[in-house]
Amino acid sequence: MIIQEGMSIQRKLEILSDAAKFDVACTSSGVDRKGNGAGIGNSLACGICHTFSADGRCISLLKILFTNECIFDCKYCINRSSNDVVRASFTPEEVCELTMEFYRRNYIEGLFLSSGIMVSPNHTMELILDALRMLREEHHFNGYIHCKAIPGTDPVLVEAIGWYADRMSANLELPTASSLKQLAPHKSRKNILKPMRQIQLRRESNNEYLGIYDGRQPAGNKVESLLLKDDNSGRSDSVYNKVINSYNQKPHKANDYPIDKKENDFDVDLPNSNKIIPYRKSPTGRSRYVPAGQSTQMIIGATNESDYNIMSVSETLYDNFDLKRVFYSAFVNVNDDSNLPSTVSGPPLLREHRLYQADWLLRFYGFKMTELLNEKNPNFNVLLDPKCDWALKNLEQFPVEVNKASYYTLLRVPGIGVNSARRITAARKSAVLDFKDLKAMGIVLKRAVYFITCNGRMMYPIKLNEDFITRELLAVKDRLPFGIEKDITYKQLSLFDDRRFQTDDRLILQQFSHA
Amino acid sequence: MNNFKIFQCENSIDGIFTAIYQAWSSGYGHANVKIEEQCERNNYNNIELFSEYIFVKTNLEQAIMVSRSIKSKISLEAYEMVCRVALSDYKGKGDLIYRFLILGFHIGSKIVGHLSNKVVNQVFMLNRYVNGEAHHLLGFIRFSEQENGILTATIHPKNNVISLVTPHFADRLPNERFVIFDKNRDICSLHLPGKPWIIAEFPDMDSSGYDIPVDNEYESLWKIFFDNIAIKERVNPKLQRNNLPIRFRKDMTEFEYV
Repeated sequence: MIIQEGMSIQRKLEILSDAAKFDVACTSSGVDRKGNGAGIGNSLACGICHTFSADGRCISLLKILFTNECIFDCKYCINRSSNDVVRASFTPEEVCELTMEFYRRNYIEGLFLSSGIMVSPNHTMELILDALRMLREEHHFNGYIHCKAIPGTDPVLVEAIGWYADRMSANLELPTASSLKQLAPHKSRKNILKPMRQIQLRRESNNEYLGIYDGRQPAGNKVESLLLKDDNSGRSDSVYNKVINSYNQKPHKANDYPIDKKENDFDVDLPNSNKIIPYRKSPTGRSRYVPAGQSTQMIIGATNESDYNIMSVSETLYDNFDLKRVFYSAFVNVNDDSNLPSTVSGPPLLREHRLYQADWLLRFYGFKMTELLNEKNPNFNVLLDPKCDWALKNLEQFPVEVNKASYYTLLRVPGIGVNSARRITAARKSAVLDFKDLKAMGIVLKRAVYFITCNGRMMYPIKLNEDFITRELLAVKDRLPFGIEKDITYKQLSLFDDRRFQTDDRLILQQFSHA
Repeated sequence: MNNFKIFQCENSIDGIFTAIYQAWSSGYGHANVKIEEQCERNNYNNIELFSEYIFVKTNLEQAIMVSRSIKSKISLEAYEMVCRVALSDYKGKGDLIYRFLILGFHIGSKIVGHLSNKVVNQVFMLNRYVNGEAHHLLGFIRFSEQENGILTATIHPKNNVISLVTPHFADRLPNERFVIFDKNRDICSLHLPGKPWIIAEFPDMDSSGYDIPVDNEYESLWKIFFDNIAIKERVNPKLQRNNLPIRFRKDMTEFEYV
């Protein structure tokens, strides 16, 4: 290990921003906070992107590692202890200086502090706590702070940091416990989930105390919050106990999927979710604990989990851990480790893209994971986005009538997203909509046209035939993020210029998507 | 060819509102009047021969009366939409607002939902366009610190969004003195600690002295960060261009090509 003394701040920033680049979650969203008139900073719930780096990803926060020294040896990580790379560490003062000066010039929306593990998880987290405390209390920084929860940290430190940070995240790293054991021998699933559960429960009791409901309360948590309110509510105890007992007897969602039963046992040895946490006053004078919630990230393509495995983990995290976001990170073999898959031909970006699409379907479109994938079809279709794929398998639910269908039914139509569905539901209150109205409203009909009627008529006479619609949808270019297109080479296999000549397209496609 | 009475007005919210007030109360009838603002894109090559041009002098009282009736008879939401449309660079926005208000005063607060109506839809789209650019600039504006401690920023926005972005920075940086220059319109917004921010015109002022970045230390640190945070294996200029259009880059520290 190379340690240089008296390194300049330029050099440190160079090393520690480079080391942080694989962290995905550069979002500054989830909390609305006005400036306090005295310090510096405010925050917008929608988040603000400040610039976009050469890879096209948003830069919103000053994303750095506190140190890239690390005692852990995770195989996928450039900072693993067995690697011979230049090591550097910031001091809390330097982190504050960079954050404040960058923030003043409007380079950034706040700080995203992650870290390698120096000496021990507790030692590192103490330094991070120092930096955050200094930033909030001495520099009166009121902007956004995202902080990592390092697995194995003492709960007391997690508790303290949560009062300074806006968002915290414990990285799940890999979808299953066994691959974690294999690639990150020093981390365990239990150690990662422990701070996650702690922050979740703390946030719930804090929100409960303040009377805040932040929108998407997952079903699983409703009963828990009922229990926390139990003492002074006027409803009869017997009903309560019934609900709670039935909930407690029901197995947790994670256990419903037989594949994951052992590996993804999310609740092993974790504190029971309906324990009552007493409200303790914030030591910092700040009233909200991790107001922007938690996120996590998983590496995609380093191990051989299917999309089904990955999505079931995500769904469990959203439902049982109240996560705001799960990020997917296409694996890049930075260490040229021969035991890990090679990424010479590029990281699996298309797969990452499909997972994000499906993630959106879970969070905003009212889909359940089991509708999109199952054990027989464990991976997403390479050629069609998950919603098109679902629609083609469920053609009996279409066409839907634009003037009557509910908001969530509209959301299930390929090509109609949250914005379009909102516009349709607003506009149809005052007029009966026709296709030309939809066009004028800026609703893209390329895909939707096969699945909707206006006043009982389709735009063109279309047969609801799976093969026919599949062909038509494939002719519509999938709006992939620029640069991913190169992954798809299916066209080369066709003998004809016009692929409509082929009758068994669908068959070939199916083979592809299962390959 | 119809002869219209064309009310020509200043290119500002107050100017457009005054013209609307005068056109409305002129008694010529909605079908016979038009509003024409001296918009960024209007080059006056196309003067209508048989129409009568009436020049409207901006009158604050009349403008306030219009804004008050929009707020009370339609809704605050509609008022904000109309204001943003008035700040856009769309040629014919004055007349569009006039047509929108005719509908709005008839229908009331529900007008904003009538998206299948052409006029309402156009107002909706322009509102989104202006909002979008303002939101972009909240992130893309770059301040540089001058020797006297003042923060200065330059922008070249398509729409007149300076009044939409400044409140954000006044809230965010209450203890800073800062100036934002809109070089496309020769206006700037000024903020001093503890005082309300203002917008000033500077048609003759030489602001070129502020173009030279003074604080090289943090600017070079920022560039180091910007270059190192990209993942080489995923470099994707098209995606970058899609997210951050080239037109913003000339005012951004990390993209100075010089």
